[in-house]
Amino acid sequence: MNPRGSLARERRQAYLLVAPAVLVLGGVALYPILAAVWLSLHRFILVFGERRFTGLENYAYLMGDSRFWAALGNTAYFTAVAVTVELLLAVPLALLLQKAFPGRGLLRASVLVPWAIPTVVSARLWAWMFNPEYGVINRLLPGQDINWLGAPGYALHAAILVDVWKTTPFVALLVLAGLQGISEDLYKAARVDGASPWRTFVSITLPLLKPALLLALLFRSLDAFRVFDAIYVLTEGGPANTTETLSIYAYKTLMRSGDFGYGSTLSVATFLCVVLLAAVWLRLLGREEAA
Amino acid sequence: MRRVSSIVLALGLVVGLGVWGCRRQDASGEAGGRTRLVFKYQPLWGPPEPFRELLARFERENPEVELVTEALPNASDLAHQFFLTSLEGGARDFDVLVADVVWVPEFARAGWIADLSAEFPPEQLREDFFPGPVEAVVVEGRTYAVPWYLDVGVLYFRTDLVPRAPRTYAELERFAREAMAKTPGLQGYVWQGRQYEGLSCNVYEALWGHGGRALSEDGRVLLDDAPAREALAYLRGLVERGVSPATVTGFSEEESRRVFQEGRAVFMRNWPYAWSEAQKPDSPIRGKVGIAPLPTVSGEPGSGALGGWQLAVNAHVSPERRKLAARLIAHLTSPEANRVLALNYARNPPRPAVYQDARLREEAPFIAGLLPMVERAKPRPVTPYYNLISDVLQSEFSAAVAGLRTPEAALKRAQRQVDHLTGEGP
Repeated sequence: MNPRGSLARERRQAYLLVAPAVLVLGGVALYPILAAVWLSLHRFILVFGERRFTGLENYAYLMGDSRFWAALGNTAYFTAVAVTVELLLAVPLALLLQKAFPGRGLLRASVLVPWAIPTVVSARLWAWMFNPEYGVINRLLPGQDINWLGAPGYALHAAILVDVWKTTPFVALLVLAGLQGISEDLYKAARVDGASPWRTFVSITLPLLKPALLLALLFRSLDAFRVFDAIYVLTEGGPANTTETLSIYAYKTLMRSGDFGYGSTLSVATFLCVVLLAAVWLRLLGREEAA
Repeated sequence: MRRVSSIVLALGLVVGLGVWGCRRQDASGEAGGRTRLVFKYQPLWGPPEPFRELLARFERENPEVELVTEALPNASDLAHQFFLTSLEGGARDFDVLVADVVWVPEFARAGWIADLSAEFPPEQLREDFFPGPVEAVVVEGRTYAVPWYLDVGVLYFRTDLVPRAPRTYAELERFAREAMAKTPGLQGYVWQGRQYEGLSCNVYEALWGHGGRALSEDGRVLLDDAPAREALAYLRGLVERGVSPATVTGFSEEESRRVFQEGRAVFMRNWPYAWSEAQKPDSPIRGKVGIAPLPTVSGEPGSGALGGWQLAVNAHVSPERRKLAARLIAHLTSPEANRVLALNYARNPPRPAVYQDARLREEAPFIAGLLPMVERAKPRPVTPYYNLISDVLQSEFSAAVAGLRTPEAALKRAQRQVDHLTGEGP
């Protein structure tokens, strides 16, 4: 038998084996994305069966759509602030969780509770607590009468607070995993050299934690950029759309208004933003790994 | 790169779920010689027996029919989404459906609900029902649904704090200020200012109260005109001048009801449901509440926004089932059925004649007393585009009420977006 023939057969076989996976991927990943892009080139009002090709008209409208830019701004602000605060809180929390003390197991478990509660449920709870008339938060701040969810400026920060409360434990867990990867020997050596705890933290812990932190940054910012459920339950995007994120705008346009053409345009725009964000972070992560 | 592709995959799944349409099969049909008729409705809160008996009577009178009921989510926008996806997919697994007042023109134009003009001629409806609901179900001279029960925005006031119900906006403010001056911590007027459909109802009520109209002669949604600007300026002014609390921009029905029910406000705009809550034995304001039409600029009784539900027939079902479905609607919207709903579920009858019923007057005096408000109730703009544009209305109204934009700016933006959505823009 000639070896080149068997190699070709092997290759054919390999393609055959990979084919189902490629087909499935194409069906569940590629097709919907292409369909969304195709839809975004139409004026397509579901209810009226109105569907005609309009080319890039939706994208032209998008460029001048101040509501879209406002939503993009809200989303970016939400992501930046929430993820920064989460990282800042997660590091000390992880350090605390790593320390050996009685009841550590219980504490570790209980810290995860906010993360384990379904977002819709916890957002509902927070909505009650934020209620300006009978919510517990204004009662805890005597003399204050803050309109948490009804005043522009407050509502988005209230949503950020809910997100921070919910996902800090998750970030802390990622950081904790990173901490446990740091060899104990390094700390021993630092102690021998007489380094202060702060010095140890800055020179050993933080640099070695960098990959874990970057990973947390990647997960969380992609997640936060698509935020929908918490904000939808808290404010539905109000007041005056000051808490409207890209996902909420796209959802409302698609599902509430039934405007599938422009709704798809918004989805595609969101998708592109997320891909861009992912590309930037992966670039950073890749450089980190190479270094 | 592999990581990028896995992220792409995950996102693709999410997008895919949104785009994937679903086709439905005909689930119901002939069963053992009897025709299965499926009625899709939202639960009526209250004792189940009277309504069940009403349905059972239909089955007794129509032995060839097996009646099945299916519940809808108890939130109007979720129910709308359900119908949007299932009727667009040509669903034939339900025959009779309930439609919110603002849906009928939209569904009619989409061809999803059947023309019922033969069974319920528009002239007949005009004779039997209030004008508001008829306006909401008759589209271009054809009947597409029959009013089932109504809801209307009304003004609640504290009989122990004000001399009488205010007739003008100025009076409302004066009464509120006088009461507030006497009782520290008391709020003047609570209403629904949160960004949601209830806000649109409040804004349209103010617009009518300032002599405005929702639609132009040729059916265009009117926003950028003087009464609309005055209406928004009035609502914003209530907050700025301290007659309404600043927190009102986060209120839906229940938040305002709670404040009012705890005795912390002089006036409240709400739907009739708040009445029975206010009159519960442990309510601090029991016996101190009056109800009146909303005030206006001129002092004429104002129009409340019309809410409530209509019954329509799924246009995708066979003609025979369509006929039976129309018969079920006739049964469920009869004066007797109106009475059952009013007495047991406090749902307002859409027929003026039922308000003269002696039993209703005796057993449900509150419902009977709503007659002057119901008579004047007006639907929000009756246009097939309403659901398409309501989201824009909510956000721009919210911006004006929260003081983020001037009424002029908000309405200009709203008009521009609405014209784009309805295809009337440049």
